[in-house]
Amino acid sequence: MLGKCFSILCIISFIFAIFCGNMDEVSKSVLQGCEKSVSVCFSLVGVMVLWNGIMEVLKESGIIKIVSRVLTPVLRLIFPRSFKGGAATEEITACISASMLGVSNAVTPLAINAISKMERGTKKGYATNDMIMLCMLGCACFNIIPTTIIALREAKGAEITYQIIVPVWICSLACMVVGVILCRILGKIYGDS
Amino acid sequence: MEIVNKISYFVLPCVVILVAIIILVGKRDYFSCFLRGAKGGLKSAFGLIPSMCALIIGVNMLFASGATEIITGFFAPLLEKIGVPSDILPLILTRPLSFGASLASFTDIVDRCGVDSLSALCASVIMSSTDTVFYVACVYFSSSEIKKTRYFLPVALFVSLLSVFLSCMVTRLFF
Repeated sequence: MLGKCFSILCIISFIFAIFCGNMDEVSKSVLQGCEKSVSVCFSLVGVMVLWNGIMEVLKESGIIKIVSRVLTPVLRLIFPRSFKGGAATEEITACISASMLGVSNAVTPLAINAISKMERGTKKGYATNDMIMLCMLGCACFNIIPTTIIALREAKGAEITYQIIVPVWICSLACMVVGVILCRILGKIYGDS
Repeated sequence: MEIVNKISYFVLPCVVILVAIIILVGKRDYFSCFLRGAKGGLKSAFGLIPSMCALIIGVNMLFASGATEIITGFFAPLLEKIGVPSDILPLILTRPLSFGASLASFTDIVDRCGVDSLSALCASVIMSSTDTVFYVACVYFSSSEIKKTRYFLPVALFVSLLSVFLSCMVTRLFF
């Protein structure tokens, strides 16, 4: 995926550069890009360190379990099949709590775990409604603290940093609700397995 | 708005204090848990550099070649009509594909338009409210060898487009 992305970007730029006569700019931009990538990653190091540390403490101390108990009634509505059979419920809640906190590198292994547990007893190679719902929530989930972006904005010397939290709450919540509703409707229409 | 800003400043300290209290009163050594997790974060942050290097070069070249100017020039009237700043078009296109590519376009928008400009603010909200659809689909489904993803992609792409309009609308409302 990344490789294709990179190749397409480069080929398009090369073609346009020939026609627009911007090859001097393009050659400069390659080396500038190298430097920029390191500076962007450096401005993220601190936040990722802090955030992964916090997540680990929350997980070990059982706070995540409390969160999942609070979320269970809501999740029962969203994942009817998994919660009826009791399969993968803990994995699902852990995954969603992590993505609400915005720890994306913790979400991926949790989600893979949840899906492989949901897969038991279903048709092979076929995504059930609950699996699609989990992926949907992986794409659009209520984001409590958008730390990555706040950190990047601060690194760039922004005046507006934490003030983006409330707009993010509104947008991410709305997207999540729309996504969940659409998935439920389409799930009803197409049926399950 | 004043109250909203106050709330915004409370969120992160609250989480940090919660962790601090756990470390202080917890029976186990939770600080070493923190350090263990933090080390993982350090690894993944540095692990980002190689892919970011390639993708930022790609996005940089695209801007320098003049391609984005021509493409955004083509779509600008349509985007402005629905209230989306045309500067964020590269972000809209790369957001569903990969985190690295969208982060590269995001930093480019910030550098180009200024970090407190409307375009950069819209971009910040978009970045925070949806994730990368194709990446999620690839990683989550391929781990279990699921090929029939049914209605997932259409719904996810629709939601990710919706987030663009919504983010721009809400951002205009707030700032």
